[in-house]
Amino acid sequence: MSTAALQIVHPAPAHAAWLRFRRHRLALAGAITILALALGSAFGPYLLPFDNTHIDILNRFTPPLLGAHILGTDELGRDVLARLMMGGRVSLSIGVIAMVIAMAVGIVVGAFAGFYGGVVGAVLMRLVDALLCFPTIFLLLALAALTDPDLVTTTVLIAATGWMGVARVVEAQVRSLREREFAIAAVAFGSSNLRIMFRELVPNAIAPIVVAATLNVARAILLESYVSYLGYGIQPPAASWGNMLNNAQIYLTSAPWLAIAPGLAITLAVTSFNFLGDGLRDALDPRMNIP
Amino acid sequence: MSHEGAKRSIPPLADVALGFPTRRQFIQGSASAAAGWTFSSSAFAQAERPTNPPDKPRGQVIAALSQEPTVFHPLMAGIEVDQAVWWQVFSPLWFIDPDGNFVPDLAREVPTIENGGLSADGLTWKIKLRSDVKWQDGTPFTAEDVKFSLELINNPDFRVRNRVGHGLVKDIKVVAPDEIHWRMEQPYSPYMSILSLTFIVPKHILEKVSDPNASPFHNAPIGTGPFRWGERVPGDHILLNAHTGYHGKGPYVERVVFKYIPDLTVLYTQFRTGQVDYTGLQGILPNFVQEAKTLKGRKIYVSSTSSVEHIAPNLEFGPFADRAVREALYFAINKQAIIDTLNYGLPTLTESFVPQQAWSFQQGLPQHKYDPAKANALLDVAGWMRGSGGVREKGGVKLEFTNSTTSGNAVREQTQQLLIQDWRAIGAAMRVNNMPAAVIWGDYWAQSKFNSVLVSVNFMLGSDPDVTPRFGSGAIPAKGGRGNNTYQYQSAEVDRLLAQGTKQFDLAQRKTTYGDLQKLIRNDLAILPLFQGFIAEGVKEGLQGFRSNINTSTNCWNIREWYWA
Amino acid sequence: MARYLANRLAQAILLLVIVSAVGFAILHLAPGGPLSQYAASAQMTQDDLDRVTRQLGLDRPLPIQYLDWFGRMLKGDWGRSYRDGDAVLSVISSHLGATLELMASATIIAVLLGCWIGVLGALRRYSVFDTLATVGAMIALSIPTFWFGLIAIYVFSVKLGWLPGGNRETVGDGSLLDLLHHLIAPALVLALVETAIWGRFMRSSMLEVINQDYIRTARAKGMPESRILTVHALRNALLPMITVAGLQFPTLLGGALVAETVFTWPGMGRLFLDSIGYRDYPVVMGILMFSATMVLIGSLLADILYAVVDPRIRVR
Repeated sequence: MSTAALQIVHPAPAHAAWLRFRRHRLALAGAITILALALGSAFGPYLLPFDNTHIDILNRFTPPLLGAHILGTDELGRDVLARLMMGGRVSLSIGVIAMVIAMAVGIVVGAFAGFYGGVVGAVLMRLVDALLCFPTIFLLLALAALTDPDLVTTTVLIAATGWMGVARVVEAQVRSLREREFAIAAVAFGSSNLRIMFRELVPNAIAPIVVAATLNVARAILLESYVSYLGYGIQPPAASWGNMLNNAQIYLTSAPWLAIAPGLAITLAVTSFNFLGDGLRDALDPRMNIP
Repeated sequence: MSHEGAKRSIPPLADVALGFPTRRQFIQGSASAAAGWTFSSSAFAQAERPTNPPDKPRGQVIAALSQEPTVFHPLMAGIEVDQAVWWQVFSPLWFIDPDGNFVPDLAREVPTIENGGLSADGLTWKIKLRSDVKWQDGTPFTAEDVKFSLELINNPDFRVRNRVGHGLVKDIKVVAPDEIHWRMEQPYSPYMSILSLTFIVPKHILEKVSDPNASPFHNAPIGTGPFRWGERVPGDHILLNAHTGYHGKGPYVERVVFKYIPDLTVLYTQFRTGQVDYTGLQGILPNFVQEAKTLKGRKIYVSSTSSVEHIAPNLEFGPFADRAVREALYFAINKQAIIDTLNYGLPTLTESFVPQQAWSFQQGLPQHKYDPAKANALLDVAGWMRGSGGVREKGGVKLEFTNSTTSGNAVREQTQQLLIQDWRAIGAAMRVNNMPAAVIWGDYWAQSKFNSVLVSVNFMLGSDPDVTPRFGSGAIPAKGGRGNNTYQYQSAEVDRLLAQGTKQFDLAQRKTTYGDLQKLIRNDLAILPLFQGFIAEGVKEGLQGFRSNINTSTNCWNIREWYWA
Repeated sequence: MARYLANRLAQAILLLVIVSAVGFAILHLAPGGPLSQYAASAQMTQDDLDRVTRQLGLDRPLPIQYLDWFGRMLKGDWGRSYRDGDAVLSVISSHLGATLELMASATIIAVLLGCWIGVLGALRRYSVFDTLATVGAMIALSIPTFWFGLIAIYVFSVKLGWLPGGNRETVGDGSLLDLLHHLIAPALVLALVETAIWGRFMRSSMLEVINQDYIRTARAKGMPESRILTVHALRNALLPMITVAGLQFPTLLGGALVAETVFTWPGMGRLFLDSIGYRDYPVVMGILMFSATMVLIGSLLADILYAVVDPRIRVR
């Protein structure tokens, strides 16, 4: 019984997972979109005749599709497409890296707390609770005030405010799972605690973890725009989707494309990550196959 | 941090610290005891009115402010926006009208040497007060209230805004309920204009208060002004009701509502849709002005403020110590692009720190010209040679620096990016390092920890061009000085002129002194001036009586005279 | 259980002390200060600034300031706002109503709508409804709230003129209709993200449950589908949602903060932002302690409820 249970919850072989993932058309579309955004941001700037920081003050607010500037120009006459691509580099890196950091920290803390319970669990989870007591904005403001705003600090900042939620979800899952038969069985088999935690329990919590991860990328990319909104974040003249959107706010009525372009980019990227996560969740959790 | 920029609430200090359009008084002549205090007290300049105000207060005015007034005790440390409320609830002894004339308010007449209110040496002041004024709770206003107010200002336990001038007042004597005398420790001409912004508070209420810094009065003030305190919904609005027993003209509206709308885009939208009758501080963003002027049923007023938008160099910071560098940087600025394009042509060019409306303004200062070639030549001659990456250097010092301003101020951030491009062309590398208001205007600015700052400053001391706190060598906080000389500017000649100016009483002489001072500052490029500040305000059509007043801190100064046609 | 409760309560109080110390330290160590707003104005000289600093007690060593603040707080004196001189508790309570109104309406919308969408989506997996709901939720989660709010104002207030462009009420009106009219846009904007979150978690949770062995067993035993759903699936699917509810409070507060800013809503979120901007330490600390207490109560209740409803969790 115990062995069988262990097998059932093991992640499916890669091939089967890929087959399931491929069936998830939205996830596939999400993956393709992300790939396109990433490639566009990485290589697009080299294909454009415009530099993203070149100011052409006489041609400010050129609407899209009129002339050489496909997406028009911004409040300083800079090419919006070029800035969108350079901004994509910044925003996507921040989103993904911040998510990875947040997940790593969150999973480790959550797993330890959930597995050991008792004093360790209480201490760790009270720490999580304490940090969760601070509204994200406060943590961001306070931490940002202590650092110089740049790419690295902004990323770490966002990650630092994102891991607690993950830890909670993982802790709850692990705490619940370790009472189940297969975990007890694993202990009986003499597996090491670390092995049980990260080979048996955490993989069993993969579904909520992946859901949390997708929400975390969304969160990180969005938070980047809020950090800009709060007056920290990426400094001009460098572009990020967040600061582009932020700068466009006051021109919403007269030059709406300035807000629409980065707004859509954020929405598109985040939506894609969410769909990708959804697809991965289905693919990695074989129980979902059972009708 | 001025009118055009901060578009939301996150950097709320953005507009207060420096360069908020502080239209303070630089009335002609007030600088001199001999010549300045001779204004006729009958100078009741009135706006032309197409219609007459109603007999009885009618209707209400909703005035939008992008910051929230929170300090209602008019003698405490407050910010600009608080004054919008003070002007309605309280009265000063006299105020300064848009033409620069002193107009008596609680005083019966403005003291002059001619009418005996002032002694010839400027040391003895005798103020005659109106005897028909009542506090809004019905108690008569007397000279005791004036005495109490002046003494409260000098009370060491009281968290007063400042004691400049007030600290010199000695031997206050109430000689009659409607007359008060005092002696000044030394002649101090700016005190006339300082009193024009000093609101009198009620003795009969505040003398009973145990803690002068916290009492019910602070959140339900009682004054002698045209409007009574109604209610305050914190974070939302303040409602004031007409005080029908007001001693002056008006009020002609039943209610004034100060609505706090932190986002300037939303503020403009609400003005456009008609939910707001008047856009007060900080007015309408420059990019909306053109569109606003085409709105039906709305009138837009663009007025100068007394602040000067400039680049503040830290003169102790490497490259900026070299005058040639400052001059080259100045020549390389495309000012016209900044004014015409980024600010929609609304501001006016200036070369001085003195507003052009002031008597002390020096005409004919050398005009700035956008000339990158000359800038390059200057740097070549001065020995700044292009090194790696096209950045100039001299003696191992690279011509690179940061520029900071309040983050979130869109127009300033655009200006910075224009500067980056302009200066890159002459081999100077500038990097943006913006911060929220509470950070930048703390030690970073005060203790001269910056390289350069893009800022708007009102240099005038009251109405006086005495800029000792700004350019005096003893006023550098980073060097233990007392003042605001964060540029760390030091010049023996300027120090001499500053000292000379404060001792002079003849207006013509002072004009020469301060003219020379302006020439020196311009020549040394202690600051790189960009333009004189401005504010664009919107008023709903049919609302009469709005008059911008560069001599007061807010154009809400005369809401008492506003009425619906 | 009583021992467990006492234990958790003691932990919560310890936590509040930690939160207050960390918050106080971060706040006071961060660059800038409450006097920045006056610092460079010609109105106040360095002497004036030093004097006010002394009068506010900000020249004392930080630990002393903290202990002073802490001692007073225990006695119920949370200090006075540097801005309007009002007692902190009264400042908070004067902003609390507006925020609660906004958060409560948004939460009601979000929970009802989110659970409904989530359950339906899980049951009719990959149906048109589920796909639309999933896509919709993703987009909702992906739009920056402040941007969405601005566009809502632009469309519904500026272009169409249906809704007021902000504020909680028309001054001097005071009718319920007027309040609701003002509430619609900010509540919906705030509810958008919340609904998406609730919907997603509900769907995941429901899917998790209906694939469990005991549901299959119940099906195999021929139990009616509706009974399976209500008795077993829905009840068990709602369990993890308790944690979600606990976790949502700070998120909700953060969302309210943005919605309040965009819609000029006179609530606690905007008070918090303003107070941080002005470095109004007593008010910031007050809001921090207040929200921390709320969060702790929320999480405590969630844990207790979770333990009550899920017998697998053993209370130790």
